[in-house]
Amino acid sequence: MSYDEVEIEDMEWSEELKAYTYPCPCGDLFQITMDDLRAGEEIARCPSCSLFITVVYNPEDFADKPQKKTNPQPIAVA
Amino acid sequence: MDAPVEETRSTNEDDDHDDEREEEEERGEVWAWSWGAGTDGQLGTGAARDEHLPQPLSLNPLSSSASSHPLRVSRVACGGAHAVALTGDGRVLTWGRGIHGQLGHGELENCLQPKPVQFFESFTVCSVSAGWNHSGFVTDEGHLFMCGDNSFGQLGTGDNQSYNLPVEVLFFASKHVEQIACGMRHTLALVTGDLVYGFGSARHGQIGNSVSKPQKSCNLPEVIQGFGSCKIVGLFANGDHSAALTANGELYIWGRGFSGASNDLHPRLLHSSLRISQVALGWHHAIVLADGEVYMLGGYRHWAASGSHVVNPVRHQSVPSAACAAVSDVRTLEKVSCLDGERVVQIAAGAEHSALLTERGKIMTWGWGEHGQLGLGNTDDQTFPQIVNIPNWRSFASTLGIYCGSGFTVVTKSV
Repeated sequence: MSYDEVEIEDMEWSEELKAYTYPCPCGDLFQITMDDLRAGEEIARCPSCSLFITVVYNPEDFADKPQKKTNPQPIAVA
Repeated sequence: MDAPVEETRSTNEDDDHDDEREEEEERGEVWAWSWGAGTDGQLGTGAARDEHLPQPLSLNPLSSSASSHPLRVSRVACGGAHAVALTGDGRVLTWGRGIHGQLGHGELENCLQPKPVQFFESFTVCSVSAGWNHSGFVTDEGHLFMCGDNSFGQLGTGDNQSYNLPVEVLFFASKHVEQIACGMRHTLALVTGDLVYGFGSARHGQIGNSVSKPQKSCNLPEVIQGFGSCKIVGLFANGDHSAALTANGELYIWGRGFSGASNDLHPRLLHSSLRISQVALGWHHAIVLADGEVYMLGGYRHWAASGSHVVNPVRHQSVPSAACAAVSDVRTLEKVSCLDGERVVQIAAGAEHSALLTERGKIMTWGWGEHGQLGLGNTDDQTFPQIVNIPNWRSFASTLGIYCGSGFTVVTKSV
């Protein structure tokens, strides 16, 4: 059974772990990666114990979007 | 963990035990025992591993400071994975997880053994607290110093920068801080004149909601209103919970609701006829001590799984009140039974486990046990308090102190 329900905005992004994290009562961190979220996963696990939490988030915020054109077309100035 | 183990011990084992004691004496006098989750060094044993049975901590490493007289630890504050010990003469030692600067040594590293915080050598510290990744220190002159993670403004410094050396919270420079209590991501401070301030995460109402517009966090202290003219004698914080104890033994609770109840954005008086003397908060439970007996609010893995909370529930009658009638079902204190009538003198709560000391010096633990934080030699949960065996505890039963971090437990011996 899920230990707790945690909203994604209560989780912290860890650059080191490349994951959203939330304190686990054992002292370690519950973790869920961006890929997990994109895939619709809602369980964040702790690497040190059996506990896990349910992450509450809007899947649309993480769903794969069609590739946006990030580079604007160069404009000829000469 | 049962007594028969002691009784069936062979002569050889007795000898081994004596040898062990001699070794301990050579290393220095034992001042504490620790057990539970230990992978960040929070047990102070010098090893970064979990321990399922009490491990002795000796004084020798503490005596290595410049001071000629040995350190006497008067109390220990335990956080997410670090500990802050206060000595009788106002010095501070820290150990455990240090990667956010919460140990105050000017580093960002874990420390596997108690180490004096040099910053406080010219101060006398009288109150300490440890949060998930931050620490607070109050000096005898009423100044507040903080260090560690400041992502939520839990250091109260007006910025969100983390500090690896204690930094004075200048907001209180002209005030007199008496007590500090650190929760997971928030901090409470008691200032002379019965003012309670809160700072850090505000997501669950844990620092009150005194501002007109709701906010997620606050990096400067703000007064928490709602205590009337009560004299506040104790502040408590853990997880997203906050509590204040009045001189009359009444308890105010605010922050995240227990047992799925809604959050309390303002301090709410726990309606009860008990005269509460001690309080300990976990992440999903609170325990209180009243007239030598322990009562619990909420609780994860602390109760038998049958749905009814205890085998012989002894429900303490709440005083009916229109204001709290709607939530009385989830704000009822349940008596913790199976203590054989022995009076309890001290209580402590980790994230999801609890501990107590009885008047005869029995150390008991219950709740979540996966990391050995119950000290019973295994990783089982316990729904009733169980006795922890510490060798020769009888000789110092009256001088013990018990403290819980998120997943670990520390017992000290006043020497």
